[in-house]
Amino acid sequence: MIKDRITYPFTAIVGQEQMKTALILNVINPLLGGVLIRGEKGTAKSTAVRALADLMPTIQKVKGCKFGCNPYGSEFCPDCEAKIANGQPFEIYESKMKVTDLPVSATEDRVVGTLDIEYAIKHGEKKFECGILAQANRNILYVDEVNLLDDHVVDVLLDSAAMGVNTIEREGISYSHPARFTLVGTMNPEEGDLRPQLLDRFGLVVDVAGENNREQRAEVVRRRLEFEENPEEFAQKYEKKQKELSDKIVEAQNILKSVTYDNKILMMAATLSIALDVDGHRADITMIKTAMTIAAFHGRTQVSEEDLKQAAVLVLPHRMRKNPFDNGVLDAGTIDKILSDNE
Amino acid sequence: MKRKVFPFTAVLGQERIKNALIWNFINPRIGGVLVSGEKGTAKSTLIRGAEHISGKKVIELPLNITEDRLIGAIDFENAVKNGTKQLDRGILYYANKNILYVDEINLLSDNITKALLEASSEKSCCVEREGISDRYPCEFILIGSMNPEESGLRPQLLDRFGLFVEAKGEESALIRCEIIRRRIAFEKNVTEFIDEYEQEEMKLASLIKKAQERLPLIEVSDYALSLAAQLAQNANCQGNRGEIAIIETAKAICAMNGSSAVNKESITEAAKYALPHRMRDCSVQQEVEKPQTEPEKQSTPSNENNSANNLEKTFSSQGDSDFSETLNDSKTDVPENPKSSEDFSSANNNLDSSEKIEAIGEQFDVGRWLDDKRKILVRKGSGRRSLVKTDSLQGRYVKSAVSNIKNSDIAFDATLRAAAPYQKNRNKNGLAFSINASDIRIKVREKRTGNFIVFVVDASGSMGVGKRMSAVKGAILSLLSDAYQKRDKVALITFRKNKADLVLGMTRSVDLAAKKLETLSTGGKTPLYAGIESARYLIKAAMKKEKDLLPVVVLVSDGRATYGRSSDPFGDAVEEGRALAADHIKTIIIDVEQDFIKLRLAEKLAKEINAEVYKISDLHAGTIISAVHTATKAM
Repeated sequence: MIKDRITYPFTAIVGQEQMKTALILNVINPLLGGVLIRGEKGTAKSTAVRALADLMPTIQKVKGCKFGCNPYGSEFCPDCEAKIANGQPFEIYESKMKVTDLPVSATEDRVVGTLDIEYAIKHGEKKFECGILAQANRNILYVDEVNLLDDHVVDVLLDSAAMGVNTIEREGISYSHPARFTLVGTMNPEEGDLRPQLLDRFGLVVDVAGENNREQRAEVVRRRLEFEENPEEFAQKYEKKQKELSDKIVEAQNILKSVTYDNKILMMAATLSIALDVDGHRADITMIKTAMTIAAFHGRTQVSEEDLKQAAVLVLPHRMRKNPFDNGVLDAGTIDKILSDNE
Repeated sequence: MKRKVFPFTAVLGQERIKNALIWNFINPRIGGVLVSGEKGTAKSTLIRGAEHISGKKVIELPLNITEDRLIGAIDFENAVKNGTKQLDRGILYYANKNILYVDEINLLSDNITKALLEASSEKSCCVEREGISDRYPCEFILIGSMNPEESGLRPQLLDRFGLFVEAKGEESALIRCEIIRRRIAFEKNVTEFIDEYEQEEMKLASLIKKAQERLPLIEVSDYALSLAAQLAQNANCQGNRGEIAIIETAKAICAMNGSSAVNKESITEAAKYALPHRMRDCSVQQEVEKPQTEPEKQSTPSNENNSANNLEKTFSSQGDSDFSETLNDSKTDVPENPKSSEDFSSANNNLDSSEKIEAIGEQFDVGRWLDDKRKILVRKGSGRRSLVKTDSLQGRYVKSAVSNIKNSDIAFDATLRAAAPYQKNRNKNGLAFSINASDIRIKVREKRTGNFIVFVVDASGSMGVGKRMSAVKGAILSLLSDAYQKRDKVALITFRKNKADLVLGMTRSVDLAAKKLETLSTGGKTPLYAGIESARYLIKAAMKKEKDLLPVVVLVSDGRATYGRSSDPFGDAVEEGRALAADHIKTIIIDVEQDFIKLRLAEKLAKEINAEVYKISDLHAGTIISAVHTATKAM
């Protein structure tokens, strides 16, 4: 194992506000369904995702559970289910949420898990060897260049992302375990498209571009150089900001359950979805959830119209793409127009 | 693991899916249901929620299942410990008397589909492998869901489903609001939400139970039988599965609403679910693909003249009119971007006078056209994305095979099973298992590859005449839309003046290809040979990286070569074309010749190099796309 490197602090990333917001919202509320970041090379996509690890809140897990089951949750892995059935109490420990990597070259058996060969040969018994999806349970699953992923791996991801369960019926193994993860993907659209089905699984989408402002660009370079020169010192400089942000995230998580919305907000979401002719209802639901999370992030318990509009920009662009050659761009102006047309 | 699922009765709308499911629970002889539709329409939610109300278990068949887990295989633990050969039964065994659910059934691998079909028609499963011979009953309700965007379903499988329903999002804003509200309430407190609907779930469950009891008492008159047969015949269904499904469904409908005999209403209602996927003319596709206009009419059948004749009329007339509508719709669906056409004109001024850029011409909605064609073509086994066995290490592991070559892709599970029966008699060196070379099994993988379509486009001066280029752009864009759906790879080569240019290397980004296409300019001589030559090099290089590619060259030209290596430019082109053919690369030529005096050079070239040739005007019939598909199929 390589010793933990110091990652570039999240708060030191210049600009890219939308991307940062989308990522933070997903950390606050893992039920949002992840985020897809589309953009050119060198726009801090990966840096931002990696930097997220530092801001992650701690969660409670069942000790000894390979899947990190939530002791207070409603779904458990077979081992934990057995414990409950036997009346064994859970030992609980706290651990930070992680960013689990899914490399593009990953094979299907590594992703879903497989038969433990060594164990089988030594003991003549079947044992399930966990895959990446097991590690990703209750964490962030990060796929760099998600558009280059093999089709059959994508199928598996779709299945688990939709159900929060990984079901294995292969290689002599029959097993299912919770796999509820926040899917974060990055891609360069020039290298190919994403399958519409997978695209829809991402709760939010942001498009990033390099900064156009000359001063900003200079600042990006300055900070990067400073970081490379002395990572520890650089990280220390941002410690206070990092702490503030992670506190804010924890605070938002605490109030998220009490965030409410009124009928007007619901109606706005439905109106937008109908006007933009999106498929199904996932967009509506995600829009409201995102708006609730935005409100929580700002420390409010009531969703405002602005929250919903901000949510719409993140939730709708990739879902209104009926024609492959549409740009799939949605801005605040269009949203305002639709809403005022339907008053 | 136990799962907390969204209650069936809490799903708002989607009455057609609910009906189809409930009828199947009442009467398993209906033969299952296929739910097709857009993303996020509660397809899976409803099916998973069915466990609670149907009294049956929902067994899920994951896409990446391997054969051994589907039907069963030797239990190697038992073999090692006790030296006995025992079958570890697969999920088909557990599906017996229950519900078997396949999500994204259109993406299921061929091997698994075959085994599934066999089991569902035999109602039992036969295992003959690893020295084990067994047969166990497996009668299940097959429920599939799919998103047609991804790819179609093979007809044998389609026909196996008793009923077919289309899922679509709700249109009413108020209903949508309530859907959001319920989902968010569910996620906020799962247990509480489920408790809230407990009573309603129980009510529905008991209704279904009562209907199940009533089912054997439902009478079916001869009149009802002939009506069902008539409907199936009018719909041009193959075989008798259609009318059987109608009758069984009608029985379930009557059992549910308390009638004692199958009546006309229940037959017509049943036909709307049992026939759409079995109809065999063009209107089928309309029913299957475009029922948006239909469901309102269907879900509220007008009471006064809901006769069979009426239904028949709706099917056929709606088919025809909608069909032409679709056509018109798609023609107006040109991506007319005013901004980009401005760009064109400004760009025009900057180019020298012999060069010009034309806007993209008419675009055809080939997807639907293709699907229409496919509906008929499928029966000859063509038209779906090419599925190949692959010996590269990519692809899905579907089954295992005996190995006689050195291969690192060992199927350990199969190897263990192969070695298991002999463990008693082997020297194991303190380990639990001993494996001989003869036990080694390797993985057989399956992979979906798209086609690799190389467009070789003539961009010489002659192409600028009479909007020709604009028509070509439209044609290519149509092919690109199709490629987008099938995830084909594309590349774009143009040739003009004295050389060929690789405008776009192999990519899956159809967006990019469309953008490049927009800015394509014409002018200069026609170095036809150079275009063909660079296509060949490109494909050869690409094949080195990916052996499984199925390349097709689509050459768009009038064949009038005016520039070559020798004094005979056309001869050069023929020579290059032959080299292409020698490499087993399929070529399709789109002849754009529209002049008054026809030289038919493209046709001549096609004959020389054994390529298929199509006229640009043929595009209206959508033949080119199917040509591309048959071309790759033939390989």
